[in-house]
Amino acid sequence: MKSKIEKVLEEAAVNTFEDICFMYQVPELKDIQKNLTLEAAAEVKYRGDYTGSLLIETRGGLFSAIAANILSIDSPSSTQKRDALGEIANIICGNVVTSLGRSKLGYKIESPRSLKKDELLKEKRQSKPLAEITMNFNEGRADIKFFVDDDFVVKEKKG
Amino acid sequence: MALNILVVDDSAVMRMIIIKTLKLTDLPLGDIWEAENGEKGLRLLQEKWIDLALIDIHMPVMDGEEMIRHIRENDQYENLPVIVVSSESDPGKIEMMHKQGATFIHKPFKPETLKEVIIAITGVSNEVKD
Repeated sequence: MKSKIEKVLEEAAVNTFEDICFMYQVPELKDIQKNLTLEAAAEVKYRGDYTGSLLIETRGGLFSAIAANILSIDSPSSTQKRDALGEIANIICGNVVTSLGRSKLGYKIESPRSLKKDELLKEKRQSKPLAEITMNFNEGRADIKFFVDDDFVVKEKKG
Repeated sequence: MALNILVVDDSAVMRMIIIKTLKLTDLPLGDIWEAENGEKGLRLLQEKWIDLALIDIHMPVMDGEEMIRHIRENDQYENLPVIVVSSESDPGKIEMMHKQGATFIHKPFKPETLKEVIIAITGVSNEVKD
C-alpha cells in the first residue's frame, strides 16, 4: 500500500509533467525502460520543521525532452535542459513538503542543484527515500525520490 | 482590451513557462515584460503601462512580498491586479498575499486556471480578441 506522502509525490509529479511539460505517462513502457542509463539528475533541498531533499533522475532522452516541451524548442541548450529539470524538481518539492505537516516557520526551498552523473553515483545516501516513484514516458523515464531526515519517521510513528 | 503583462520570476525557464501558458489562455495579450526580481519589476512598472503582474515569491535582490508591498504603497499603480505564482505551501504566507490584494496560483497550473483568475481580477474577456 502506498504511503500518504508517496501518493502526494505521485500526484504532484503527474500534475507537473502534464501541466508544465505536456507529457503523459505510458506505464506499459515500464519493462522496456527498466535498464536505461542515467543521463541527468537535479536535487532540491528544503528546510523547515523538517529538512530533506527531492531528487529527480532522468533516463533515455527525457532530460532533453522536458526542456524541449517546456520551452517549445527543438534543441535546447545544456543550460536550458538543466534549468528545466531543476524547475520541475522545485515545483514537485514545493507541493510535497506540504504533506509533512505545517511548519511553524514555513518551508524554505533552496534553488535546484544539478548533479553530475559521477557525483550522483558516488553519493551513497545514508537514508532510504521516504517516498519514491518511477514515471515512464514515450520520451524516457523519470525516477523521483523524496528524502526527509530520519527523525520525521520516528515522530510519525510516535504521533 | 489587450493586456500588457509583467512576469517576475528569477527562473528564466519559469518565466517562459508562464508566458507560454498565458498564450494558451487565448486571452487578448498585449506586450509581455519580464523581470528577474522585484526591483527590476518595479522599474518596469514605472516605465511601462502594465495591466497585470504575475509575481513569484522567492527571488533574490527583492522578493515577491516586498515587491507587492511597494506596489500597494505607490499611488501610480497601487490598484494593479497581482497574481502570485508559486509552489509555496505555507498557508500563513498565502494568507498574507491575499491581505495584500494578490491572488494566489499554485504551481503547477493549467491554462484554464490561469485564464479564470485573469478574467476574474481584470475583467478582460477573450470575446473581443482581435
